[in-house]
Amino acid sequence: MNAPVAPSRMNLPGSSHAASGNALELRGISKTFGALAAISDVTLSVKPGERRAVLGSNGAGKTTLFNCITGDFLPTAGLIRFFGEDVTVFPPYERIRRGLRRTYQISSLFSGLSVLDNVYLACRGVSRNRFSLIRPRADDALVNAAEMLVEAVHLTGEKDRLVGELAYGQQRQLEIALALSGAPRFVLFDEPAAGLSPTERRDLIHILTSLPSHIGYIIIEHDMDVALRVVESVTMMHNGRIFKEGRPEEIEDDPEVQELYLGGGHG
Amino acid sequence: MSVADHIPRLADRAEQRMWFERIPTRWWVVGLILLFLPVVANNFWLFQVMGWTFILGMIGLSLMFLAGYGGMVSLLQMSIAGMAGYMVAILGPSGVLNVSLGLSWWIVLPAAFLIAALFATIAGALAVRTEGIYTIMITLAIAAAFFYFTRQNYSVFNGYSGFNLVLPPQLFGVNWRDPVAFYYLTLASATLCYFAVVYIERSPFGLALQGVRDNPRRMAALGFHVTAHRVAAYALASIFASAGGILLVWQNAQIAPGTIGISSAIDILVVAVVGGMRRPLGPFIGAFIYVLLQVFSADILGFFGFSVDRFKLIIGIGFLAIVLFSPDGVLGLWDRWRAQLAARNAATTGDGA
Amino acid sequence: MDNFIKQYPYWSLTIIVLVAAFLWLVLAPWPPELAASWGRKQIFLNALLGGITLGALYFLVAAGFTLIFGLMRIVNLAHGSLFLIGGYLGYEIATASGSWLLAFPVVFIVVGLIGLLMQRFIFSKMEGEELRQTLVSIGLSIVFADLMLWWWGGQSYSILAPQFLQGPMELPLVSNFNAATGAVTWLRYPSVRIWILIAAIVIGIAMWLVLNRTALGTLIRAGVDDREMLAASGVRIQLVFLTVFGFGAGLAGIAGIIGATFQSLSPGEDTRFLLASLVVVIVGGMGSIVGAALGALIIGVAEQMGFVYAPTYSVVFTFLIMAAVLAFRPQGLLGMRR
Repeated sequence: MNAPVAPSRMNLPGSSHAASGNALELRGISKTFGALAAISDVTLSVKPGERRAVLGSNGAGKTTLFNCITGDFLPTAGLIRFFGEDVTVFPPYERIRRGLRRTYQISSLFSGLSVLDNVYLACRGVSRNRFSLIRPRADDALVNAAEMLVEAVHLTGEKDRLVGELAYGQQRQLEIALALSGAPRFVLFDEPAAGLSPTERRDLIHILTSLPSHIGYIIIEHDMDVALRVVESVTMMHNGRIFKEGRPEEIEDDPEVQELYLGGGHG
Repeated sequence: MSVADHIPRLADRAEQRMWFERIPTRWWVVGLILLFLPVVANNFWLFQVMGWTFILGMIGLSLMFLAGYGGMVSLLQMSIAGMAGYMVAILGPSGVLNVSLGLSWWIVLPAAFLIAALFATIAGALAVRTEGIYTIMITLAIAAAFFYFTRQNYSVFNGYSGFNLVLPPQLFGVNWRDPVAFYYLTLASATLCYFAVVYIERSPFGLALQGVRDNPRRMAALGFHVTAHRVAAYALASIFASAGGILLVWQNAQIAPGTIGISSAIDILVVAVVGGMRRPLGPFIGAFIYVLLQVFSADILGFFGFSVDRFKLIIGIGFLAIVLFSPDGVLGLWDRWRAQLAARNAATTGDGA
Repeated sequence: MDNFIKQYPYWSLTIIVLVAAFLWLVLAPWPPELAASWGRKQIFLNALLGGITLGALYFLVAAGFTLIFGLMRIVNLAHGSLFLIGGYLGYEIATASGSWLLAFPVVFIVVGLIGLLMQRFIFSKMEGEELRQTLVSIGLSIVFADLMLWWWGGQSYSILAPQFLQGPMELPLVSNFNAATGAVTWLRYPSVRIWILIAAIVIGIAMWLVLNRTALGTLIRAGVDDREMLAASGVRIQLVFLTVFGFGAGLAGIAGIIGATFQSLSPGEDTRFLLASLVVVIVGGMGSIVGAALGALIIGVAEQMGFVYAPTYSVVFTFLIMAAVLAFRPQGLLGMRR
C-alpha cells in the first residue's frame, strides 16, 4: 500500500487480484429518497481492468449509483461486492482502503491547503499512521509519491499554491491526481471532462488511456467523444434503471439510444 | 510552506544558514523581551498580567486548534481546563481536607491530564455527532451541564464553595507561586504548547484535520475516518487546555464552579476570536488584550466617565467590533495592514510584481 | 400507527405498558405501600404539573429559537437576552399601568421590534456566514446583559399575577383517597400556571395552524426544507425572514413576563433560558415546532421530577437525556437529517 508510485509513466502498482471474479458487482441495487426512487434494481458487473461508461440523461441516477458504490449513501436494497468482498454496508473509508477511488462532478478539494498537501493527504489516507504527529521528512516515501502524482497531472509548477486559488481546469486535474493516489484498483470518474477546454480534454483522454491496465474504471460522461474513446463497454441508464448494455460502437449505432440521447445534439 | 518545505529550489541557500538564522528578527525581539521581562517588570505585571495572559492564551490555543484547523468551534475548552484544575485540587492537597486526597504531584499531574483528556474525548464524541454550527450549541450545553453539576455535587466537587489553598508543589525547592518563578513557569508552558501546535499543523494528523475542516466528505472518500479524527482532535486539544487549567488553579490557589461558568466559557471564545483563530499566535494576543482591559478597566472606564462595573460592556462592544469588521481578529488586521504597506512600498519603488 | 405496531411489536408493547402505568399513577389513588416508598401522591402530581407548566414556558422561548434557526440558520445566542428584556419591560409596564394583561401586547411589539432591528441591520448583512452570525449574537448577548444589569441592577424582580388568576384551582385529579371515610381530596394547583399552560397550548396550536394551513406557513416550511429553492422562487424572502425573527423575538419577550410571574427575574436568567432553549431544540429537533413542544415537555418534566426526587442530580437528568438523544438520534427526536 505504501509503495511509491511513478504516475508519470503510469505504472501504478496494483495488488494482484484474483484471476476469476469481478472487480465490482452490483446486484439489485435500489435507492429511494422518500417517495422518489433514484435508482431501482441495478445489476451490473465489471471485470478487473475493465473500463466502462455509464451514460444517461440528467436524473438517470448515475451519480446516485456512484454514491452507493462508494458508501456515501447506503442503498435501500441490494448487494455490492468489491473484488469478491461484500462491502454493501461498509463505511466509505473502508472501501477506499480496499482500492476503490472516485472523483467528484463538482471539484471536491481542500481549498485551504496547498496542491501538494492535497495529494499528500490522498496518499496518506490509504496508508498507515494517519494519526501521526510527526512531520514527514523531506525524503518521506509518501511525499515523493505525492510529488510524482502532482507531476503526472502537470501541476508541479503550482504545487505550493493554495487549491482555492487554482484555475478550474487545474482543479479538475488535481481531482484526478487525488483519485489515483495510493494503489487504486478501481476508479469511479464522475464527469471528469465537464467544463474543460478542448486541449484539456485531450490531456484527459491521454491520462485515462495511459492508466495501467489492471486499473478498471467506470466513467460518467456527457461528452461522447471522450466517453466512447476511453472505454470498452457502455451501460445506458434511464430513469434509474439499466436500459441497455453493449460495446461503444453498438451503443452508438443503436436506434433507440440515438433517439433518446444522441440525436438531441449533445455537446 | 508545504509538506516538503526544505527540498529543491530554496533548499541550497537556506541549508547553508543555521536554523536559528532563519528566524525573523521580530521573533528574536519578542523572545528576548519575554525572557528578560522580570528584570524590569514588577510582581503585579509578572504574576497577574503576564501569568494570566499565558494561561488564558493556552486555553484559547486549544480552542484555536479545534476551530482553526478542525473547523469545530468548541465552547467546551474552559470546562476541560476546569476539569484538570479540579482534579489537581481533588487528588492533591487543598484546604478542603475531607474531600482532597492529598496525593503527591507525580500522581496528581498525569492523572489530571488523563482525566481531562477522557472528559474531552467523551464530550467531543457527543459533539461531533453533528456538524458545523450545531457544535457551538452542543458544546455550550455540555459546558453548562458540567458547571451546574460541579455546583450541586458536594461529594467530589465540593459544590458551591469549591476548593481553596490549592498550591503548586515545592519542586526543586522553588516556590512556584513566587511571581518570578510563576512567570517563567507559565512562559515555558505557553511556549511549549505554542510550538507543539505549530509543529502539529504540518504533521499528517494536523494536515488531515485541516482536510476535515475543508471537506469532510472528501476526506472519507480518501480513506480517512473523519469522526475519529475529530474526536482525536478534542483529545489532543485537551492537553493545552489542561495545562492552562492547572496553572490557573495554582495562580488563584483555588477553584470553584464560578471558574468554569458560562461566561468564562464565552470569555475563551472572545479571547480566541479577538486575537484571531487562524494562527496559534492569535489566542495569546487576544488574551493579552483581554487581560489588559480587565486589569485596567477601572482606569479606562473612569477616563470615559463610566463606572468600573461596565467592564463587560467594553468587552462585548470590542468583541462585536472585531467580529463585524475583522472576522480574522487582530492578527487579521495586522495582516491587512502589512499587505497594504507592501502594496504601497511596491507602488513607490515601482518594483511591484 | 398500524404500521408502527406491525414494524416494532415489542417497542409498541413497551410503550403501551409505560403509558398505562403512567396513567394509573396519575389517575388512581395510590396504595399506602407506594406512598410509603415514593412519598405522597400529591408530591408526584405537583412535580408532574410543575414540569408540564415549566415545559410550557420553555416551549414559548424555544419555539422562536427553533423557527429562527430552522429558517435562517442563525443560532441566536442572544435569544435569552430577549427573554430577560421582555420580563423586565413587562415588570415596568405591569407596575406602571397596574395591568398584567396589557404588558403582553406591548412587550410582544417592543421585543419583536428589537428582533426585527437585529435581523434587518446585523444578521441580514452576513447571510450564510453562520459562525459570524453566532459570534455576533454572543457579542450582543454580552452587551444586552450588561446594559440590563446597569439599568435594573442585580436584585430580583417578580410580577404579581392579577387578582382573577391568584390562588389555587381544583383539578379533577385525585390527590388523596381516604379508604375509611371514602372521602376524595382533589388536587389543588395555582390557577395562573394552569391558565398559562392553556395559553401556551393555544399559541402552539395557532403556530402549527399558521405553518400548516396558510400561504405564509407554506413559504416558511419550504424555506426550512430548502432555502435555495425559496430564494430562487422570487419570493421576497427578506420579508419572511423579518416576520419570523420578529415573531420569535416577541414570543421570547412574552415568555419573559410569564417567567417573571412564575418565578422571578435577575441577571443570569437570560443564560438559563438560553440554555434551556438549546437543550430543548437539541432534544426535540432543530427547526421543528412540534419537536420544540415535545422537547420542552420532556426537559420541563425531567427537571422538576429530578428536583423533587433527586435534587443533587437534577442537572444530570437533563444532560443525560440530551446526551442520549445526541448519541442515538443526533438530529433530535423530530428533527430531519441534514
